[in-house]
Amino acid sequence: MMKRLWVLLLGLATACGEPMRGIEIEDAEPAPALAFTAYDGSRVDVSAERGKVVLLYFGYTHCPDVCPTTLSDWARARRALGARASQVRFVFVSMDPDRDTPELAFKYAKQFDSSFVGVTGTSEELEALKQAWRIAAYPEGDVRERNYTVAHPAHTFVVDRRGRLRFLYRPGVSGEELARDLRRLL
Amino acid sequence: MKSWLAICVVCCSSLAAACGKQEVPAPRSALEVRSAWARAADSGASTAIYFTLGNGGAVADTLTAVVSAEGEETAMHVSMQHGGTMHMSPVTQLPVPANDSVSFRPLGAHVMVTGLRRGLVAGDTVMATLRFVSGATLEVRAGVRAP
Repeated sequence: MMKRLWVLLLGLATACGEPMRGIEIEDAEPAPALAFTAYDGSRVDVSAERGKVVLLYFGYTHCPDVCPTTLSDWARARRALGARASQVRFVFVSMDPDRDTPELAFKYAKQFDSSFVGVTGTSEELEALKQAWRIAAYPEGDVRERNYTVAHPAHTFVVDRRGRLRFLYRPGVSGEELARDLRRLL
Repeated sequence: MKSWLAICVVCCSSLAAACGKQEVPAPRSALEVRSAWARAADSGASTAIYFTLGNGGAVADTLTAVVSAEGEETAMHVSMQHGGTMHMSPVTQLPVPANDSVSFRPLGAHVMVTGLRRGLVAGDTVMATLRFVSGATLEVRAGVRAP
């Protein structure tokens, strides 16, 4: 009995002692608006997700490295969360309106986990999104030949259960580390 | 007599050298690709190939190009972060030091294949060829992994 108690206390101390891997935003404010209709007709609206934690990644489907690495880590985090994963919403937003359609963004996200949703919008909608979220996303390379990459935010944006933009996670934070932090936010 | 003897020695030496050349196997390249894999891409239009490039020889070489029939274009890139924004920069030359290795890995250097001619799913194989400044070439056989 005592041994179990010690193990429990040690586990709690470790969990409390380890800092969050994300960059915490001081004086977190309500997340800016982000609302799209996904390819399957469902609505993705961050403001309607109170009570859940929302993860957002602004990328593009032609992205060969950072976006798939991040979404793969999300998928591992989701698996590690088990039943609690239902309290987390994973949203991929394509910032490449010239090449990505709602269908492509939707299918791209589903490659990683069937619960992930991918959305995109028109150039005007994405411009407004960039302004609201204070993020940069722009093509680099030969746009006319459609042979370009897209510079995009590096971090995963995390909106807490109260709808506040609360943490940023750099690429490379493992799925297990992300899951551990998400448990503390749930 | 001495001159005849000298001629015989030279001839025998040449013959032995010629025979010896036939017996020595062709030199193996000191360059090798290890642990190659590629990302699945069943709806996206590009993939990345990752691997470790080893150089077990005493002479450095430089990777100058990668080609693959899998897509319309193949290039080496490195992912970099500046001020919170991710960029990809082309890499045109990558030194491979003697007795050393370089790694192509997620969030770093990678081979990008764009305009894929087919969807890639786990279990598929992606082929590419590396070309070096020395004239050497090396085949990459990358197994596709689930994303």
